[in-house]
Amino acid sequence: MALVVVSLATAAIGFYGLRISRTTGDFYVASRTVRPWWNASAIGGEYLSAASFLGVAGLILLSGTDALWFPVGYTAGYLMLLLFVAAPLRRSGAYTIPDFTEARLDSRAVRRVTSVVVVVVGWLYIVPQLHGAALTIRITTGLPAWVGSAAVVAVVCLTVVAGGMRSITFVQAFQFWLKLTAIAVPVLFIVFTLAGDGSAAVAPAVVNPTGLAPAGPYQNISLLVALLFGTLGLPHVLVRFYTNPDGHSARRTTLIVLGLLSVFYLFPTAYGLVGRMFAPELARSGQADAVVLLLPGQLIGGTAGDLLSALVVAGAFAAFLSTTSGLVVSLAGVISQDVLGGGVRGFRLAAVVSAVVPLGFAVMTDSLALAGSVGLVFAFTASTVCPVLLLGIWWRGLTDAGAIAGMVTGAVLCGGAMVWGTVLGAAGTPFWLAQPAAWTVPAAFAVTVLVSWGTKNRIPLTMARVMTRLHTPERPLVTER
Amino acid sequence: MTRVRVTAPRSAPRPAGESREAAEESEVGQVFVRSLIRSQLRLALVVAIGFMLILSAFPLLLAAVPGLAETRIAGVPFDWILLGAGIYPVIGLSAWLFYRTAARNEARYRDLAGDT
Repeated sequence: MALVVVSLATAAIGFYGLRISRTTGDFYVASRTVRPWWNASAIGGEYLSAASFLGVAGLILLSGTDALWFPVGYTAGYLMLLLFVAAPLRRSGAYTIPDFTEARLDSRAVRRVTSVVVVVVGWLYIVPQLHGAALTIRITTGLPAWVGSAAVVAVVCLTVVAGGMRSITFVQAFQFWLKLTAIAVPVLFIVFTLAGDGSAAVAPAVVNPTGLAPAGPYQNISLLVALLFGTLGLPHVLVRFYTNPDGHSARRTTLIVLGLLSVFYLFPTAYGLVGRMFAPELARSGQADAVVLLLPGQLIGGTAGDLLSALVVAGAFAAFLSTTSGLVVSLAGVISQDVLGGGVRGFRLAAVVSAVVPLGFAVMTDSLALAGSVGLVFAFTASTVCPVLLLGIWWRGLTDAGAIAGMVTGAVLCGGAMVWGTVLGAAGTPFWLAQPAAWTVPAAFAVTVLVSWGTKNRIPLTMARVMTRLHTPERPLVTER
Repeated sequence: MTRVRVTAPRSAPRPAGESREAAEESEVGQVFVRSLIRSQLRLALVVAIGFMLILSAFPLLLAAVPGLAETRIAGVPFDWILLGAGIYPVIGLSAWLFYRTAARNEARYRDLAGDT
């Protein structure tokens, strides 16, 4: 019931947006006239994925304070985005990451490699969203799991094909506030009810329901490297920055996003803590990722519990829908420009392709811990897109050969670690392979810099002009300072 | 295959823009641009490193003061409060500092480059 309402609301707002969006420019980036608050809510709505909504609480339930680094890293990633990327990227005037690298390095080859990397990142990131949808459907309705994934893909395709980016901005902004309500109201209700009953905690918070060994410093550092630098390169996050009118407002939008995320992540943390204190058996039965969905029914019960559960399910679906549609929009932008020659029809076709491929992958594979698998995608992004982006913005010496070598190194090392880790299984994977970011990210940076040094004669002639455009304030003067 | 780059319509031509573009490509203009980039990069690095130092200080603090992690405030252990809620104000403050100073750097550049 709840998910029907969310899907209908998403689709309705999407179709409403159809009437506003007319040109191709509207389709891609909403003509860059979205207000900072709308835009910030939309970025938050897009960013808070299945991993944030379900996975963080589940992981906190499983591993306690070690898992608190996940929400911290997800938020601090935006700080890095603000510091190093937000304004220059907006000023670059490019629509997508491949547009940026091509303009900066004046090279078609770099564009192609970047496009491939971006599409891989996007697909990898959609798969856990679909796993989350499958889990939610299985837990709440008892239907076969694939129904959830297929429903999400269908709604996303419909919305994106109909309205493009403009409508997506409204949809995403709406989804952020829905998600915040859906996660905050039940947990506040639970806390007040428990406090009112004076019911004692079943187990103290320090209890370890699964007996997992605590993570060492290496795992925590590697995780933070992945989350801090992975956020920079997420395609659906970056494309959203082009909807700001100028670099200064791109910074302000990011500032608002940081505030919104900080408030949001208090609640999954609270869920995890309450789950650990009052329902540790969920972790033992291997249903940790469902703790957000199951806790209201288990601790409150009755009609109130049912209503709260419905609200949480609505929020969870908002999470799957918004992240997936954001990714689909940005992937469709890349695919349609590189393969289908741009235009609205190419964009629509590309949107369907970018949603259906990960669906096949999601149906064939099985869900791991959601927050963990998303953490690996961040590691992959941090090892491929992030070095090229950071060095391209801040270092005059970057060359096309260096960029390609760095991206390939990062992709091979991190992708190899992911595949090898899957082959060995969760139990047999050594810690440095399970969290590869701490060595793959520096390796990718080093290769990019070394190869660029070796090919100094390939520094593009347009470099000085591009660097000037990236870093100087826009001309139509930003009057508000 | 023909490739069509889709771009937003360029906004109205600005006569002042041309002269500034020329000024930016001159040698003096490039000196100003380089110094702007350097000051923005320095600012970003200082904020980033400062934030990471504070971030790493949190677990070290918990490890260094015995019993601090188990101290409870309203039933919630202190380590949960510190890591689960206490880091966000630090993130927000760093971001706000950067936002302010970066805008000031740009204003200074605008004065130097002679924009009106």
